Amino acid sequence: MKVSLNWIKDYIDLKGIASKDIIDKLTMSGLEVEDAVDELERYKDFIVGYVKEKKKHSNADKLSLCTVNTGTEDLQVVCGAPNVEAGQKIVFAPIGTVIPNGGFKITKAKIRGVESFGMICSESELGLSDDHSGIMVLDEKCRVGKSIVTELGLDDAILEIAITPNRSDALSHIGVARDIAALYEKELLLPQISLKESSHKIKDFASIEVKDKLNCPRYTAKVVRNITIKESPEWLRKKLKKIGLRPINNVVDVTNLIMYEVGQPLHAFDLDRLSGNKIVVQSTDIQTKFTTLDSKERTLPEGTLMICDAGKPVAIAGVMGGENSEISNYTKNILIESAHFNPSSIRKISKLLGLSTEASFRFERTVDPNGTLYAAERAVQLIAELTGGEIVSGVLDVYPEKIKEKEVPLRFNRVKRVLGYTITNGKIISILKYLGLKVIFESEKEYRFSVPTYRPDLEREIDLIEEIARINGYDNIPTISKISISLGEKIDESYFTDQIRQYSCALGFFEMINNPMQGEKIASLTGNKIPILNPQSLDMAFLRTSLIPGALITVAKNINAGGKDLSLFEIGDIFNMNPGKNEIRSFEDFTESQNLLLVSTGKENQKTWYSEEKRADLFSLKGIVNSLLEKLSFNNVFSESYEFDNPESLFEFSFFKNYDGKTIGTGGKIKKEIIKQFDVQQDVFCFELNISLLKQIQAKSKKYLEPVKYPKSIRDLAFIFDKSVTYEQVIKFIRKSASILLKSIELFDLFEDESLGNEKKSMAFSLEFYSGERTLKEEEVEKEFNHIITSVTKNFNAALRGM
Amino acid sequence: MLDKKISEANSGFNSEILKVNDLKQLEDIRVKYLSRNGLISKLFDELKDVSKEEKPLLGKSLNILRNDVTEKFNSIKAKLENSAGESEKKPDLSLPGITKVIGSKHLLTQTLDEVKSIFKGLGFSIMEGPELESDYNNFGALNFPADHPARDMQDTFFITKDFLLRTHTSPVQIRLMNKYKPPVRAIMPGRVYRNEAISARSYCVFHQVEGLYVDRDVTFAELKGTLVSFARQFYGNDLKYRFRPSFFPFTEPSAEMDITCYLCHGKGCRICKHTGWLEILGCGTVDPNVFDNVDYNHEEFTGYAFGMGIERTALLKYGIDDIRVFFENDFRFLKQF
Repeated sequence: MKVSLNWIKDYIDLKGIASKDIIDKLTMSGLEVEDAVDELERYKDFIVGYVKEKKKHSNADKLSLCTVNTGTEDLQVVCGAPNVEAGQKIVFAPIGTVIPNGGFKITKAKIRGVESFGMICSESELGLSDDHSGIMVLDEKCRVGKSIVTELGLDDAILEIAITPNRSDALSHIGVARDIAALYEKELLLPQISLKESSHKIKDFASIEVKDKLNCPRYTAKVVRNITIKESPEWLRKKLKKIGLRPINNVVDVTNLIMYEVGQPLHAFDLDRLSGNKIVVQSTDIQTKFTTLDSKERTLPEGTLMICDAGKPVAIAGVMGGENSEISNYTKNILIESAHFNPSSIRKISKLLGLSTEASFRFERTVDPNGTLYAAERAVQLIAELTGGEIVSGVLDVYPEKIKEKEVPLRFNRVKRVLGYTITNGKIISILKYLGLKVIFESEKEYRFSVPTYRPDLEREIDLIEEIARINGYDNIPTISKISISLGEKIDESYFTDQIRQYSCALGFFEMINNPMQGEKIASLTGNKIPILNPQSLDMAFLRTSLIPGALITVAKNINAGGKDLSLFEIGDIFNMNPGKNEIRSFEDFTESQNLLLVSTGKENQKTWYSEEKRADLFSLKGIVNSLLEKLSFNNVFSESYEFDNPESLFEFSFFKNYDGKTIGTGGKIKKEIIKQFDVQQDVFCFELNISLLKQIQAKSKKYLEPVKYPKSIRDLAFIFDKSVTYEQVIKFIRKSASILLKSIELFDLFEDESLGNEKKSMAFSLEFYSGERTLKEEEVEKEFNHIITSVTKNFNAALRGM
Repeated sequence: MLDKKISEANSGFNSEILKVNDLKQLEDIRVKYLSRNGLISKLFDELKDVSKEEKPLLGKSLNILRNDVTEKFNSIKAKLENSAGESEKKPDLSLPGITKVIGSKHLLTQTLDEVKSIFKGLGFSIMEGPELESDYNNFGALNFPADHPARDMQDTFFITKDFLLRTHTSPVQIRLMNKYKPPVRAIMPGRVYRNEAISARSYCVFHQVEGLYVDRDVTFAELKGTLVSFARQFYGNDLKYRFRPSFFPFTEPSAEMDITCYLCHGKGCRICKHTGWLEILGCGTVDPNVFDNVDYNHEEFTGYAFGMGIERTALLKYGIDDIRVFFENDFRFLKQF
């Protein structure tokens, strides 16, 4: 909200206090000044100039060559404005001045070959309005050579204040002034009202009926007759322009002025256009079409709170008036509405229509129900003054149930308990009084305050403590230098995942973070997707069901950018609707699980002068997975299974890591037709691991094993098998048939060749024998070894190869 | 006889060894004198044929010969090997080494790790919660009234009327307090979602760290102390800070913490919108209504809570000017940190 500091000074004496000090204090008390324009600072270099002479620029048709008198000298100035004439008083920016609009500095310049020693300014360049049609022509009374700060009264500071949603009271100049009064301990002076009312009675000109009392607890109206609509006087226009409003006429401008003064939105109806001279406040029972005063036809749902006359709706209550009852240049008689509406009803309709106005913004944050009459009277007093109208005597005020001031207790010791320091009772009471609270009960330990209705946010003791803290200043709260730490149990729920992250990095993978929201096509590749009700765009309309598709997008982007060799990982949550569910009603209807994805594509190792290149493949991925699981103490915990050509799967072939019948992880080579969808041409290998499931499995606890003291016997051997025999079958068989002296088996060679025979292959293993208790005898090992050879050859019909 | 043969062998070896130039010639000498069938072995064989009286003396001479020869042989061998190494095997040490790739955590994870480690040192546990949350945990339990403009502070992605993508990590506070009785002291990092237009300054997904401490005598003063200690450890010891009143439905009194702008050191610049200050986090003492919603006695217990954005923190710390780089996952970016 824009606030003029000069306007604030109408209500509070701030003589001798610098704008900067006020701005800092406001920010530090919760009314954050996001931007401030100090006119004094901004306009200090601009002076009133006099155009003595105007000639045509010799090299440019549209430019003029002016002689500007600055009070002390005559300067040659090139000017492009169409309206510049000799004899005008103008705003002159001498060399060195910074132009507010654009922030550039005036320097001596040559324009089309002619020197120019300054600039004649437009309102737009000065940031006074958006009028850039020509230069600003000043009043005759302005004194040449004087600063425009004094000549134009540009001594204000305009603040842009961010008002938090709880501070509806601060959405006005008086509201902000009240905080300043408390901060500087100064008296707040509210404008006094003295109405000159005519002998006519309001009842003879209008009537009010409120049918929906729940959503309109109060409706106050005043009537002004025989007005003349015209432009508002300069002081009013200037006041509104300063805070960024566009002046319209002497009635609308007053309603705006009062809204920014006291915070009560007002609406002026053309009384003669209200059929039956009647106002009826009611909620619609059918869907209605209505044209608002911005000339837009809007469809209003059933239940919209409307202001109607005897026959038709004339305004959407609290949001915007209708075109059909708008003030025109010919309006003679007006009714000023000053009402209190239920905040949540205003919010609902404003959200639904996507129509937020200054009025709805205030009503949905709560406007003081007991301030309607003051605002209406203040408005008609001004309107009567400016329009020459007659204030009809009396007021129409439907307020069936008066909203009372709340009573809130405050225990002084509680202030210290929450804030951690002592503020004197006197100071506490004084702060609350400045904010408009009244003491209604007092004792040594506790006071009770009544809270004005313009502060609906102050309901509980803690609300008062916050007021005390912010007005007394957060800077005054001590910053303690010691804390005590409980020695109870500490939990780190991120520890396990962090370990996975660390090991993935050690294995040469780089972490990525992809957006969990995806388009329908991508999210449909895997799982049972969950839609977002109000997506930002179609390509973010669903939650990911797997980390793979998002990673493929990243892989594709990087390949396009020249990064063809990638080892990436991601740890993130995936979301799946549970089987048989199609809507989320509880946490039982879907599963959110934390997953790890490892992706590799392109070269794993580059060719060097020393080593050959190595491309990513399934087996290096599988090895990485096994290294990772081993490091996490899950070695030999999982069983493996394999799959080829599953039409449902993203993988051309894949391996699964299973535990207790559940798949914990799946890895493989992505199908060609899938990677093509992502515009990727090279093979991509992925492994996805369900960390949430993994966390539920007990990892092996790490125990110290004494290094073996006795020598190991290593024997190599190779067999020729039928091609159909798998590594897994052989390994399992050897383990089963060997004694405990066989400690490890490694496959160190595998090859197929016609020389071996048709449909045959050779597998070579290295076997390691040892005992933890003694040195094995040569004959023992030989016996073991021979036993393995005999059993394998017999079982698989294999032949031992000469080594 | 043998006596003479010993002295001949000695002089023969001494003259031959002087002529040796390479390892091959040396090997020939080894075979000739020192191998199993070499000259010295044969002389030892002959020892069994000499008389009993001569045996000790000749045996001693033979041993001396074998030791002398072995010693000389070894010293020449060592010399030759060294010089052979120098001339034939000297590698080009300027050749490049073969590097191993060490991967890295995402910059946001690294930033989060740093934040976590500081709070761990201050005695905080680390808790986590789901991203797909109930409206109640995300708003209702945190004292956001239905149909209240406070909800506009956080544009929400809804899944259904009652479920949503959490807009902040604060619902983990509710989960934590429902699970544990006071005292509780934890930070809660996580991913959050807001329906905000994507630009250099905002993205629809980002990360936060929430903090909560509840016990019998927790005050705003302690909140200030703890956060100042964090900020000093994270941003540097000479940092200036301020706490400014603000509004969050779940804390009261509420504050925002600003630190002096890292770029202009408080003079005012584009980054700090000419205020000289940068907002780093929101905080406050826990609103009694929140305690009521988790069945904590709000008379008995007080607490504080805070929340900070990890992206913002990383932007400030590493001088990045576009938040979108965190989610583009360009490998050139990922490999930088």
